[in-house]
Parts: sequence; C-alpha cells; structure tokens
Amino acid sequence: MVEVRRGPVEKGEVITEENVYDRPDETIGFFPSQIVADLAVSAALLAIVVALSYLVPAPLTEPVDISTTTYVPRPEWFFMFYDQMLMFFPGYALIPFGGIVIPTLVFILFFAVPWLDTEPGHSPVKRPFMTIVAFLIILTVVFNLLLGIIRILNFPGGSP
Amino acid sequence: MISRIKGWTLGVVQPIADWTEERTGVVTMLEHFLYEPVPKRGKWLYTLGSATLFLINLQFLTGILLLFYYVPTTDNAWDSIYYIMTDVYFGPLIRGIHFWSANILMIVIGMHMLRTFFSGAYKAPREINWVIGVVLIMLVTILAFTGYALRWDQEGFWAWEVGIKIGSYTPFVGAYVATFLLGGDTAGPATLARVFVIHVWLLPAALAPLIGIHLYLLRKHGEFGSEFEYSKRLAELRERQQIEEYALYEEGDEDSRG
Ligand code: HEM
Repeated sequence: MVEVRRGPVEKGEVITEENVYDRPDETIGFFPSQIVADLAVSAALLAIVVALSYLVPAPLTEPVDISTTTYVPRPEWFFMFYDQMLMFFPGYALIPFGGIVIPTLVFILFFAVPWLDTEPGHSPVKRPFMTIVAFLIILTVVFNLLLGIIRILNFPGGSP
Repeated sequence: MISRIKGWTLGVVQPIADWTEERTGVVTMLEHFLYEPVPKRGKWLYTLGSATLFLINLQFLTGILLLFYYVPTTDNAWDSIYYIMTDVYFGPLIRGIHFWSANILMIVIGMHMLRTFFSGAYKAPREINWVIGVVLIMLVTILAFTGYALRWDQEGFWAWEVGIKIGSYTPFVGAYVATFLLGGDTAGPATLARVFVIHVWLLPAALAPLIGIHLYLLRKHGEFGSEFEYSKRLAELRERQQIEEYALYEEGDEDSRG
C-alpha cells in the first residue's frame, strides 16, 4: 500500500533519521496541481512536434543502394558525441575499447550509481564526489558533441 | 441556474459513478491514484518524468499508425514511407510526430535522468527505480537507432552498417553480434526483417512492462523530489540531535568531575 504522506512537521512529532524523509515540508495534491503542470508541459510538447512535422518534414534520403561504396552516413545528433569519441580510438586494436568496452563500463557505472554513492545526504552539494564525476561526464559528452558537429560542418562530403 | 445545472449533473453522474463503483471499484481506485500528496517546490522539474511518459506514448500511438502503411521488406520499405509522405492523409503529420517526438524524447529522458541524479532521488529505498531507469534509457536509445535503419534509405542503412561494424568489434563475441544484427553474412532482406522485429516487437514489449514497474515503484515510495523539500524537517532533526549531543557532553563532564 502507498503510505499517505501529509503536511510538514506535525506537532509533537519526534523526527528521527528514519522518518525525516517521510513527508516534504509542503505538498500539493497530485490531482489537480501536479497533473495540471504535467498536462501543460505535455500539451506544449505536442504543439511543438506537430508544428515541427509541418515546418521541417521528417527526412528521407535516396533508397538503399547496397552497391554504393562511397556513402558517408551521418549519425543522428544524439550519437554524434559517441561517433566523435571513436576518433580517439583509431585502428583495430583500439576500436573495441572506444566502441564497446568503455561504453559498457559507463553503463555498469550508471547501474552502480546508488551503491557507489556512499556520501550521506541527497543534495548535490553534500556529495561533491558524485557531483564532480557527473559534471565531467556531461562535459565529455557536450565537448565531443560540439567537436563532432564542427567536424561534420567542415567536411560536409565525408571526413578524413 | 448554476445550482440547477450542478444538481442535474450530479443526478446523472452520481448514479453512473455508483453503478460503476459497485461493479469494478474503479472510482475508489481513481481517488486513490489521484489524491496523492506530492512535493510542492519542484513541481515543474517533476514534469520531466511525465513528459517522457507522454512522448513514449506518442511514439507507441504514431508507431502503430505508421504500421498501417509501412511494409518491412527491402523492395517496399522505402516506397511505403515515400507513400506515407506524399499520399496518405495526415501521413507527414504522423511520421513527423514519430520523428520529432523521438528526437525530443532523447533530450527529455536525458534531462529526467540528470534531474533524478542531481536531486539524489536514486538513494535508498529508490535504487531499483534508478536501475530500471538506466535499462529504459538503453532501450530507448536502441529504439532510436533501429528506427533510423527502418527507413531503408541510404542514410539510415549505412549508419546501421557502421553500427554493425562497431558491434563486430565486441571482444570475443563480435562475429556473433554482427551475424545476429545482419541476419546472415551480408546485408539483405533478413537484415531489414531483424531491424523491424527489434524495433516494433522486441523493444516496445520490453519497454512497456518496465515503465509499468517504474511507475509502480514511484507510487510505492512516493515522489522524493529533492532534499531541499525537507529542509524544515532536516533542521528540526539536526536541532534535536545537537541538543542530545550537548546533553551527553554535559553528563560526561559531570562524571569526570566525580
Ligand atoms: C521510458 C522512460 C521513463 C519514463 C516514462 C519515466 C517516468 C517517470 C515518472 C513519470 C516519474 C515521476 C515524476 C518525476 O519524478 O519526474 C519518474 C521518476 C523517477 N525516474 Fe523515471 N522515467 C523514465 C526513465 C528514467 C531514467 C532513464 C532514469 C534514470 C536513470 C529514471 C529514474 C527515475 C527515478 C530515480 C525516479 C524517482 C524520482 C523521485 O522519486 O524523486 N527514469 N520516472
């Protein structure tokens, strides 16, 4: 059963390590307050995707020609950082690392986050180690994404 | 006037609600689901999860609609998409939504992950929900990648080739991975069939129940939000602990003086 969590500090309640996170200081009802916010965001997103599908139609290039040897495919933007990172692992010896081993390790790291994080407290300020690691990962992704975009802009016909 | 309308609606709605409640219990269930208190402060940040849910559902819906026309064979796949874009009523809209919502989904799901990370929402007892989240983002990423190849146009196909090439470098099992993704030794009809099954059957079938568990666990533990929403209670706890520590210290002092 879902526990009912109401109101902030109740009169006479003894707050212990165990129950301190039982209920937030201030709550709103899921219905209607939160649902209204959720619906507003969803409606805005729907409007955006509908507008985009008319303004910028979904792309479709030439039909597949398996005999082509020169086609240089572009990854979708959310794979560009990955594509760019592979550039740092040239040759048969290194590609397995950049392409498979490191991403696998990163995902294992993601899975393990709740157990790696032993710093007490939830606020990012109180667990600087996790926060710094996260920022490094974000920086790596953003930086490589930018590098990838720049490379593709510089070599529209395919990169060296 | 208004009170009459109110009385009239109640007179119609109430019996229907009662009738349904007696037979299904759905009214109590709705009340139970809807009247859950949630943290107030981060309201807008918590819409990221529901936005992800909304976009995923949009993908399911438009994906099913695309299947009315899409033909997963190497001879017809491209033509069927071309047909959707040129002749089908609302075809460009349906395919456009599927395409754009997929792209925005990648942003929103990433922001949702960052939000739960930075608010420490993965800490006990919500670890499993984080782990399921990581599986979800993996599935969504593979969905995006396989969808690209389903177009069976040059761009999508050669990108898929690159993916297979990278997969073939997997230590020890690379050759098997490549064969699995190609459905043989070279790209051909079997390749498209594979991509189709993975994108349309395998991944959605895995995704749906996991989303269900994600939401079930969310309700079980309640929305945590972030520590900042517990500042009063945390302050109270700290204050009490300090008073107790001080009392202990005083006691110790008296003991040593004898
Ligand atoms: C298909 C993808 C997903 C859907 C539909 C989904 C949906 C939701 C919803 C509706 C909520 C509650 C509202 C909110 O806190 O934003 C939530 C909470 C949560 N999600 Fe997700 N989510 C998805 C992916 C993920 C991912 C990728 C992660 C992280 C790796 C994640 C981790 C969490 C956690 C830890 C919570 C609890 C937050 C709290 O209690 O404060 N989810 N999810």
